[in-house]
Amino acid sequence: MNAPTRNPEIQTRELSYAEAIREAMGMALARDERVILMGEDIGVYGGAFQVTGDLVERFGPDRVRDTPISELGGAGVAVGAALTGLRPIFEFQFSDFATLAMEQIVNQAAKMRYMLGGEASVPLVFRMPAGSGTGAAAQHSQSFEAWFGHVPGLKVLQPSTPEDAKGLLLAALEDPDPVVVFEHKLLYKLKGHVPDGWYTTPIGKAAVRREGRDLTIVASAIMVHRALAAAEKLAEEGIDVEVIDLRSVRPIDHETIIASVRKTGRLICVYEGVRTLGIGAEISAMIAESEAFDYLDAPILRLGGVEAPIPYNPELEKAAVPQAPDIEAAARKLARKEV
Amino acid sequence: MATEVILPKVDMDMESGLVSAWHIAAGSPVSKGDALFDIETDKAAMEIEAPASGILAHIIAPEGTKVPVGNAVAWIYAEGEAIPEAAPGGGATEAPKAEPAPATAQAPGKCGTVASQPALTEAASRAEAPEALDEPRPRATPAARAAARQAGLDLARLVGSGPQGRIQSEDVAREIEARQRPAPAAPAAPEPAARRSDPEPLAAPAGWSERPGDLAVTRRKGQGSGTPIVLVHGFAADATGWAPLEKALGNAREIIRVDLACHGRSPLKKIENFAGLARLAVQAFDGLNLEAAHLVGHSLGGAIATTIADIRPRLIRSLGLIAPAGLGPEIDGDTLMGIARASRAESLAPWLKRLAADPDAISWDFAQAAMLSRMDEEMRAAQRDLAERLFPDGTQGFDLTGALGRVEAPLRVIWGRQDAILPWRHALRAPDHAGLHLLDKAGHIPHIERPEACAKVLRDLFGVAEAASRG
Repeated sequence: MNAPTRNPEIQTRELSYAEAIREAMGMALARDERVILMGEDIGVYGGAFQVTGDLVERFGPDRVRDTPISELGGAGVAVGAALTGLRPIFEFQFSDFATLAMEQIVNQAAKMRYMLGGEASVPLVFRMPAGSGTGAAAQHSQSFEAWFGHVPGLKVLQPSTPEDAKGLLLAALEDPDPVVVFEHKLLYKLKGHVPDGWYTTPIGKAAVRREGRDLTIVASAIMVHRALAAAEKLAEEGIDVEVIDLRSVRPIDHETIIASVRKTGRLICVYEGVRTLGIGAEISAMIAESEAFDYLDAPILRLGGVEAPIPYNPELEKAAVPQAPDIEAAARKLARKEV
Repeated sequence: MATEVILPKVDMDMESGLVSAWHIAAGSPVSKGDALFDIETDKAAMEIEAPASGILAHIIAPEGTKVPVGNAVAWIYAEGEAIPEAAPGGGATEAPKAEPAPATAQAPGKCGTVASQPALTEAASRAEAPEALDEPRPRATPAARAAARQAGLDLARLVGSGPQGRIQSEDVAREIEARQRPAPAAPAAPEPAARRSDPEPLAAPAGWSERPGDLAVTRRKGQGSGTPIVLVHGFAADATGWAPLEKALGNAREIIRVDLACHGRSPLKKIENFAGLARLAVQAFDGLNLEAAHLVGHSLGGAIATTIADIRPRLIRSLGLIAPAGLGPEIDGDTLMGIARASRAESLAPWLKRLAADPDAISWDFAQAAMLSRMDEEMRAAQRDLAERLFPDGTQGFDLTGALGRVEAPLRVIWGRQDAILPWRHALRAPDHAGLHLLDKAGHIPHIERPEACAKVLRDLFGVAEAASRG
């Protein structure tokens, strides 16, 4: 993925999504002594999803700090550390547990710069393993991107590739304000080319993963891969799908999406969070308000999570969020003008 | 006492009409009999005279407004009479169901007289002509609307190919392309150029899209995906004559109408004989590129349909003939020539009455509207010439009994028992497998006199034919 845009002069290796994140954190720890990692079991245990891995051995327990089982407490310390000059990266074991820390994220981290008239800032990164598909049921499988995307003062990212996982995490670290990065659990093992060295992927910039004429799919995180799989199938039928990887939920890249819809006149938003009041609603409304409106030649479709908690039963769990065949079917209908 | 100006019924199956131009501005004096406004129906444009003298006021149906028959479009107040603020009849609550049509593609010339209507009129019309709920604005995508706006197209005149008839950008593109294609040329005769370069050729009527081709072909998409129906009209008629039958048939299937040469919107051509007329129709049929069709023809069109079925047997699922020509020598040549000759409604009406079982069914309005679509003397001359070649000395000069005998597709013949133009006994020359339906209280135009009965026969035929082709 992304192969056409890669600069051949940049050295890359094949890394997994988790390894790419670890590499980014290791580089940050080595380069800037203000950077610290915080989170439950990120030290000796290596993190709930083994993302921090051996970093504690390389940088020591002062800089890779295990925190007690109190998300609110840990997040509060991280906010305080950021306010007083450190650059913490705080890992939640599951993004679901961030609900315990909402006070610190929403009321403190996101507000400080505004409430103190720009005198202070909170350069803090929250890493959040998210999404369904691991059989972890209702309290460990949610997709809260839209929740956090609703808070001014936060930036919200959803990398879908190893390259972006590293580039967006480094961009988040360089950002002077709090950034929430959702890492999809099913992507941790995904391998891909990752450039050497320090680089950043711009925040607020979507990526066109596949160009097409007939319709646009805007997807995020794992849905990008499902949309691409659907697009490949549809290509055999002569349906030419453009797939946009949203990458950044807040801010949203209006320009790229509008340009694409102006070209294709048809749009499907695919996201894992609950469909109602989700990312797709925002994108749909943004298009309806934009100059792309006059180019729409069919209703906008949204594919999102069902209006229910994620079930434990594996079949139901799959059925609860869009899968590649769902995307394929919706896109086929839209392209055939049956919608 | 204020006089209500209503939208008159000028056509047998007319339900509403489009007010296309006002000749008198609101607030101006008008005399009874003055040309007051123009209306357009599917068939014709027509001038309506002022029903009274006085001051014209409360134009509640401005240009481009579609109004149901019998509804008020304006009021005329006697000289010196006080003109109230609102139109009589209780204002908005009893306002006529007038629907401002979106940006119509009217000819600029026609609208010129009222371009400077007082603002008051417009305000009144907005206040008192709420959009009729039963005729909502066309269903169209934003892209289609933008494209139509840019091209100055009236969406109400387009057929949508999307779900629920939604007009999509490709429908607009097709319409623009159709309009840009050159007007059909008339290679043989020197005179038709004048006719076909009318400053304002009638646009395809609402709900019908036009197809490029030598003969005028109009088609309306159906809701379903069944085999389309191709309709071929009779002598001196045109595609609009099918309206009652189309209505009775419903919109499940696509309907395609062919205007014969020298008829309707088709070019005037020098036709030597029946074969020449049929050849053009077969070409038009071939141009449709259909995989299959149900073919229905009336009178001369029945003979043409029989020829098409004979030449293209594999494409024809069924053949429905309504009082077809070509099955015997007898024909009422006087009526044919009378219709082709008539240059005004007064001379046309008596002949038209011969077509129907009940002469009273042919009203004066009907005759007037029919005459309006026959105002072109060159077309009438071409039809007279055609009649003389096809029906010399009042005799059918062509015999399709043999061709009909070769038709293997399911076949029904519908004839009016009171047909005074072609005797129904000609139907006895149809082959064994033909079904014959003799309709009572029907003359030579059963599809207009008894459309429901005709539609029932045809629907049965289509069903039988499709079951047979599947089996």
